[in-house]
Amino acid sequence: MGSVTLKHLVKSFGESTVVNDLDEVIRDGEFVTLLGPSGCGKTTILRMIAGFEKPTSGEIWFDDVLICGGKTFVPPEKRGIGMVFQSYAVWPHMTVYDNVAYPLTIKKVSKEETKSRVRQALSLMHLEKYAERLPSQLSGGQQQRVALARALVAEPQLLLLDEPLSNLDAKLRESMRFEIKRLQKALGITVIYVTHDQTEAMAMSDRIFVLNRGGLQQAGTPEEVYNKPANPFVADFLGKVEFFKGEAEPGRIVLPELSGESIAYAGDLRGKVYVAVRPENLLFSADGELYGTLEAQYYMGDVDDCRVRIGETLVRVITDGYAYKSMTAGQEVRLSVRDYIIYEDDGSLEETLEIRT
Amino acid sequence: MDHRAQTDQRHKNRISGPAAVKLCLAVLLFLGAFLVIMGVRGKSLYDESGFTSESSFDSIYRLTRDTDKAYSEKLLPAIRNLTEEERAGVSTVWEDLYQDAWQTDAPETGEEYVAKVLFASYLTAGPKLSSAEKKQITAVSDEELESQLLRCITDESHALPASLESLVSGLTGIERQAMLTQLLMTRAGSAVTDINDHVTQFKKSVRGSEQQHTAVNMIASGKVNGFSRLFLGNGSTIILIGCLLMLDVLLLALMMAAGRNWAFSVKWILILLIIDFLAVFLILPLVHIVVKALFPEGGFSLSTLERLFTYPLNLEAVKNTVIASLATMVLGTAIAFPLAFLIGRTNLYGRKFFRSLFVISYMVPPYVGAMAWLRLMNPNVGAVNQWLRTLFGLSDAPGPLNVYSLPGLIWVLTSFYFPYAFITISRAMEKMDPTLEDASRVSGASPLKTVFRIDLPLMTPSLLAGALLVFVSAASCYGIPSIVGKPGNVNTITTRIVEYTSLGQQGLTDATALSVLLMALALLILLISDVVLAKKQYITVSGKSVKPTLVHLRRFRWPLTILVSLFAIVVIGLPFATILLTSFKTDVGKSVLASGNFTLANWTTVFNRNETLHCLKNSLVYATAAALIGIVIAIVMNYLQQRTQLKGRSIPTFLITLGSGTPSVVIALGLIMTMRGNYGINIYGTAYIMIVAYLVKYLMMGMRTVSSSMSQVHASLEESSQIAGAGWFRTMRRITGPLIFPSIAAGWFLIFIPSFYELSMTTLLYSGSTKTIGFELYEYWTFTSQPMSCAMAMGILLFIVLINSLLGRVTKGKFSI
Repeated sequence: MGSVTLKHLVKSFGESTVVNDLDEVIRDGEFVTLLGPSGCGKTTILRMIAGFEKPTSGEIWFDDVLICGGKTFVPPEKRGIGMVFQSYAVWPHMTVYDNVAYPLTIKKVSKEETKSRVRQALSLMHLEKYAERLPSQLSGGQQQRVALARALVAEPQLLLLDEPLSNLDAKLRESMRFEIKRLQKALGITVIYVTHDQTEAMAMSDRIFVLNRGGLQQAGTPEEVYNKPANPFVADFLGKVEFFKGEAEPGRIVLPELSGESIAYAGDLRGKVYVAVRPENLLFSADGELYGTLEAQYYMGDVDDCRVRIGETLVRVITDGYAYKSMTAGQEVRLSVRDYIIYEDDGSLEETLEIRT
Repeated sequence: MDHRAQTDQRHKNRISGPAAVKLCLAVLLFLGAFLVIMGVRGKSLYDESGFTSESSFDSIYRLTRDTDKAYSEKLLPAIRNLTEEERAGVSTVWEDLYQDAWQTDAPETGEEYVAKVLFASYLTAGPKLSSAEKKQITAVSDEELESQLLRCITDESHALPASLESLVSGLTGIERQAMLTQLLMTRAGSAVTDINDHVTQFKKSVRGSEQQHTAVNMIASGKVNGFSRLFLGNGSTIILIGCLLMLDVLLLALMMAAGRNWAFSVKWILILLIIDFLAVFLILPLVHIVVKALFPEGGFSLSTLERLFTYPLNLEAVKNTVIASLATMVLGTAIAFPLAFLIGRTNLYGRKFFRSLFVISYMVPPYVGAMAWLRLMNPNVGAVNQWLRTLFGLSDAPGPLNVYSLPGLIWVLTSFYFPYAFITISRAMEKMDPTLEDASRVSGASPLKTVFRIDLPLMTPSLLAGALLVFVSAASCYGIPSIVGKPGNVNTITTRIVEYTSLGQQGLTDATALSVLLMALALLILLISDVVLAKKQYITVSGKSVKPTLVHLRRFRWPLTILVSLFAIVVIGLPFATILLTSFKTDVGKSVLASGNFTLANWTTVFNRNETLHCLKNSLVYATAAALIGIVIAIVMNYLQQRTQLKGRSIPTFLITLGSGTPSVVIALGLIMTMRGNYGINIYGTAYIMIVAYLVKYLMMGMRTVSSSMSQVHASLEESSQIAGAGWFRTMRRITGPLIFPSIAAGWFLIFIPSFYELSMTTLLYSGSTKTIGFELYEYWTFTSQPMSCAMAMGILLFIVLINSLLGRVTKGKFSI
């Protein structure tokens, strides 16, 4: 077992639909992240896969076994999965050892085997010396590793992670990211990961499911969802982006907001469009097609975050940190557009983006 | 920011530097010590004199200050007119008079005492003068009369003015001397009329008393002066004030030293005031009881305990108490845990209804339940017994169930006290992070296994706390055993204590010894649940508030719902129906539907009686006062506890916990023995002693409620208000106040309710004019009419429900217990 198939999954609470017709396959050994703003239904999906929520309709299959759907409902304890919760959910009345041994004790694994497997799981998480401690004597990061060891000790093929890193501090969060990724590769298990942190999703996932208001917006590799976002919401949710109104014509797009400048365009769209530009895709260049004035720059060390006024509009440009030395505010600059994404303007942009704030 | 604000606050409240504060404390300490010393002096003078009224002291003081001087002034010129020889003669006569009056030695010898001895004999030894005689002697205008009278005293042949001769005619020897002395003194005293009142009063209090000697000695030796007079009559009160002052100063110094902050703040005063209150009304009585029990005649002796526990009835009572409390604890917890789980964590039908039902039953007076079960399980006429007999075709009375027995007592105690455990466990369950259960499910454990492996161990501290609470409450309950147990000769410690208190001085001592036992039992358990369990209290509150996942009961949903409903009907429905129906009966033995048995007379009679209304008014006033004072203390204490860093801010909380853990009868007994003036406070038999008792016992209820809601109002909410420019008062009024108002209302209610229907303490503390509705009901039940007391009980219940819904409305539905 390793793959998870979701067939037309729907979950409503009374009037409101939290998950709307989700139809996807998570392949064996894949690391899939459910990404989206809070309230997008990502945790509900995870809890349906775990068995804590019953779908209103639709089916869940583990490989070719129906887990949930129709009259079938396999309770969580029979699904053979591992799960880590945001609050760690480490049992405070048991030692680290007992916490990790719990899934094996329930399965009535022999004492010797339990011992060796718990030792193994603990050493995997660098927790050997804490075996006899109580959770209250551990730091947040250590508790989180106990939770991971507990989820992995029974060697599940599927691991569910519900915002496991959101309670940790920034440094620890970053190192845990790579640790989780390393484990997943080493054990070859399928992971479904829930987060609202896009960097986390980008760093770890094989595929990202971007969700909004219960609907799947796009499923794809980090590269795909970042560079070819299926819609303005995805473009906006992942990374930084600025939208400009434009008029697509054969060969070029005129940007009235940027004092009527135009950029090259080879596509087939015509008429009103939106041009989405990521600030790092605007380059200072001597032969750039956009003319503007450098209005301000914010030095961040690794990058230089600039504001360039083109016509009436302030445009954000992110360039490398070294550019800071060679430019001064008030200076005339030229910008070239390295890459952009174009969407038809159906007037719904503002509403789509509202969720961000 | 937080820290800065506090530092600023400290600066604002600072009076002066550490050195000045230390000096101030030292001065206050000495003042306290001084007060204690003076109080002791005053008290010993008082005791020495043997007087029981303070006006006697007033007289002594005034006599020594004014009268004595006035008489001396008036007499001395006359004495100077005498020759040396004559003077010695007068002195001898007066000493004789003095000795004759008391058969004892003269106070002292020497010239300057002549006038005083004379005065003493006048006050005590002389015959009474009629007003005509007084008029006659004061009417004589003769400068030399005093000297003449003096000479007459020693020399019977010396001539008196003719107008006075008639007054002593026929008197000879010592009688004549005494009469002449009276005349002399009356004449001397007539010049200073305002003093005569004091003399009269003093003579009244001295005459016939064995302490005349001491009293006059005190005058003669001038032991009483204007200064010590301040400490005389109220020596005990001054000792108390001095002790409290010293205690406060020492505590304050300790707390300040511990906090390394010698800046003074008003907050200290608040803390110390509350500590003082509890020290006087809780610690003092408890210590007094322990001392009285262990040191019955001044020295350490276990004789009282020995006497008590060789008496089989008492041993039986201890055994009954322990068995009944243990059984109630086990039974109550065994009922409460599954019930709390079913209602809190499963998809049982009507969960919310059941929850409020069991919580409300917490507010029912215990004796009402006892009354109901008495009607239901009376061996002869109990309704349940009648049904059972019909159902199983058993022969006629008695049985099969008998409420007047230990099992009967256990059942009634359980049906009343299981909500205590239910509420404790429910609260803990609501606070538990449900993902702890989810984690177990995902690990492969079934819901049932999860309950046993995760929920139960995690709940253990609260479960134990709830169980111990039931144990203590059952052990210290008086209402139920007095109604259910005693008629069947099932005595408990509490009923024995109350019985002993009405058996005179020896009984009172015996009651204290039993109280010490009960108190030790209760405090031991309080200690276990607070100290030992606190260490095992797991923090299971999650950062994210997640709605608990409900366990689906599936095919057990209906059966379990029916089971819970049946239970609710048995423990709540049945008793209530019984009380209601009984209140409309003429003959309690017959059905309410039997012809002519239905009546409203019980209601109209009871609620038209002036006495009932008077008791109702008393209850209302006392409970309202206790709840108001209590909630103010609770708010202040919680504020200090949660919003300041003051050292020692948890001492009052500890004392308040101690108070709530002390059995009611012990508190009442302690108050009886210490609040009758022997420690400077005399409120015995007044309304104050009742209010104080309610406060000590139920303050905790308010504390706990306010505490939990105030801890949810994060300090940053107040800080943002202050940043926005609102002052402290405005912040309290606009931000903190509204946020915690519902819990203030709930806290008030939780102090009000038990005070309103209180019985155990009231039984010991009431006096004719301070009878309360709870006691009135008990008296009606025992001595007058059961249907009438049922009507009264229904009235109380309706009133509680009314207040409950009223508060619900005032707080816009946010009020909950």
